[in-house]
Amino acid sequence: MASDESLPTLKILMIGPSGAGKSALLIRYCDDQFDSESSTATIGVDFKMKKLSVHGKAYRLNLLDTAGQERFRTLSNSYYRGAHGVILVYDISNRESFQAMERWFEEAESNAMPGAIRYLVGSKLDKTNSRTVQTEEGQRLADVHGCGFCEVSSKTRENVRKPFVEIVDSIVRDPKLLSASSRRGGTVNVGAGAGEGWGTGCPC
Amino acid sequence: MDEIAPEYDVVVLGTGLTECVLSGVLSVKGKKVLHIDRNDHYGGEAASVNIEALFKKYGNYNKGEEPWKKYGRVNDWNIDLVPKLLMSSGELTNILVSTDVTRYLEFRQVAGSYVQQYSGAKAAVAKVPSDAGEALRSSLMGIFEKRRMKSFIEWIGTFNEEDSASHKGLNINTCTMKDVYDKFGLETGTRDFIGHAMALYQTDDYLTEKGRAPEAIERIRLYGNSVSRYGKSPYIYPLYGLGELPQGFARLSAIYGGTYMLNTNIDEIIYEGSKAVGIKATMQDRGGEEPMKFTTKAKKILADPSYFPGKVQVTGHVLKAICILNHPLAGTDNSDSCQLIIPQSQVGRNHDIYIAVVSSAHSVCPKGYYIAIVSTIAETTANHHLELAPGFERLGKIEEKFMGPPIPLYEPLESGVNDNIFISKSYDATSHFETTTDDVKDIYRRAEGHELVVEGLREGTNLVGDDN
Repeated sequence: MASDESLPTLKILMIGPSGAGKSALLIRYCDDQFDSESSTATIGVDFKMKKLSVHGKAYRLNLLDTAGQERFRTLSNSYYRGAHGVILVYDISNRESFQAMERWFEEAESNAMPGAIRYLVGSKLDKTNSRTVQTEEGQRLADVHGCGFCEVSSKTRENVRKPFVEIVDSIVRDPKLLSASSRRGGTVNVGAGAGEGWGTGCPC
Repeated sequence: MDEIAPEYDVVVLGTGLTECVLSGVLSVKGKKVLHIDRNDHYGGEAASVNIEALFKKYGNYNKGEEPWKKYGRVNDWNIDLVPKLLMSSGELTNILVSTDVTRYLEFRQVAGSYVQQYSGAKAAVAKVPSDAGEALRSSLMGIFEKRRMKSFIEWIGTFNEEDSASHKGLNINTCTMKDVYDKFGLETGTRDFIGHAMALYQTDDYLTEKGRAPEAIERIRLYGNSVSRYGKSPYIYPLYGLGELPQGFARLSAIYGGTYMLNTNIDEIIYEGSKAVGIKATMQDRGGEEPMKFTTKAKKILADPSYFPGKVQVTGHVLKAICILNHPLAGTDNSDSCQLIIPQSQVGRNHDIYIAVVSSAHSVCPKGYYIAIVSTIAETTANHHLELAPGFERLGKIEEKFMGPPIPLYEPLESGVNDNIFISKSYDATSHFETTTDDVKDIYRRAEGHELVVEGLREGTNLVGDDN
């Protein structure tokens, strides 16, 4: 584990409307689990760690979920601090979720650090029968914003690794973005080993 | 509508730090929380704002001008509205650690803690010693006084309120802090910097009030423990400003199921008899959608004072000026951040003047700028600028100064037990968050009927996703 700690850490956020499948994608990708019964809003998914190698180099992904704060669009700007990448998720069987993406792009634009990589994902690819958003529409929206795009199914596992591999690939190609490491020099590690009391180490 | 439950255990109004800590803690403990703010952003009075928002808040520019444009990217600024720092061994730090909210935040040390001696042309700024070497070089004390100080500090380290053998023959619960200083033969100047720059008292009342010695000793010890945690100064500060703190606790609450609504006005508090039992509210501005009206029941309501103006009283006024500088403070070794305390006795006042400085090192402004907040408790009803003048003298050239009318400090008239409405206090004039966490614990006790235990807050709670 000690070697994992020393890997470069990339912070990647999931955003998008409630019920778009953000947590399902995260849990399928990280834990290879899928709960078809779960249609309830997210409680308890904070963040996930995942090791990923791109071009033979390993990275530690720190993947953050919205914790339900997307429901009334109350994600805090502190959520976006230091994020290298933002994955925007909509549901291909829910047109409204696709129409909401423009506002999510705007929010990412105004809150994420300049140059952060964005990636658009259409989820629930298994629901092709009830599809209301065509692949071409998703691709067109991604092209407008100059970002990557794919459709995934967390249920069937189809493409679930793709968004993560591709966004990490884009991040690591940008040395400037990569150097904006999430934990920078000069910060203190609060809570690591309580300081010794004063009796012994008198400052005077 | 189905997104809002018909009933919550707790409805919290206002997303200041006090409210967000409580919301986070209550959610962790399994309470169903609805957290509302009338503003479109988190933090209330404890928010950090960008420079455009600051100009607009204070309105100190002519119509048609956009003075913020010369200060670079507007969003590179995170300017605190409340001038406070965290004691690195303080209770807020303990709560941050025990709730793992430290995951969402990064902290940096404040580079130094300084104190002013004398005033006017003779005014000198000296570092409050943080270790033996600094104490020996300090201009604050002469050589014999340094020895007396050393034995005083050693005694503080070994003092145990329960053990009368450690009380130096004093009846510690009835004597005054003056008696304690007398015992060590400390000079007036030394008492001044111990009491004001270490124990962080803003007035001299603590000196002569009987029975306050243990509290003073505890405060000096907190200062010492905080300094020894990371060295340099007793303070740490979150990158991007204090406004990150309430947001971090809001995320904690959300992870444990707390529901957040901003931009939402409270239209009515629903009462049954004398007890509040619910709210009617309207969520505004939903990106072109109609405002959403809703009603929900609440077993309890927690709120900041602004939501219940009829249930609070004013206990004092704080004077505050936010100043933008393009240089560090003179006499602070070019520190990227510091606290400078001007003890009241040095400038003929009854309350200390505080200056808190942070800079680009804390990601609160672009490189080359410094944000200095000068504050004190108002002693006059006019001449507020004059009251802060000794502070302004320390700043040198000021690029921009934002100073509004005196800020009233509120506290609730009642405990909340009778009406189910538990109201917090305003952020006071102290330089740290210790009184804020006292208020958090007090509200928790009033609302929940038992003490808040900070240690191990998240132990035994189950999360779907975890750090592994």
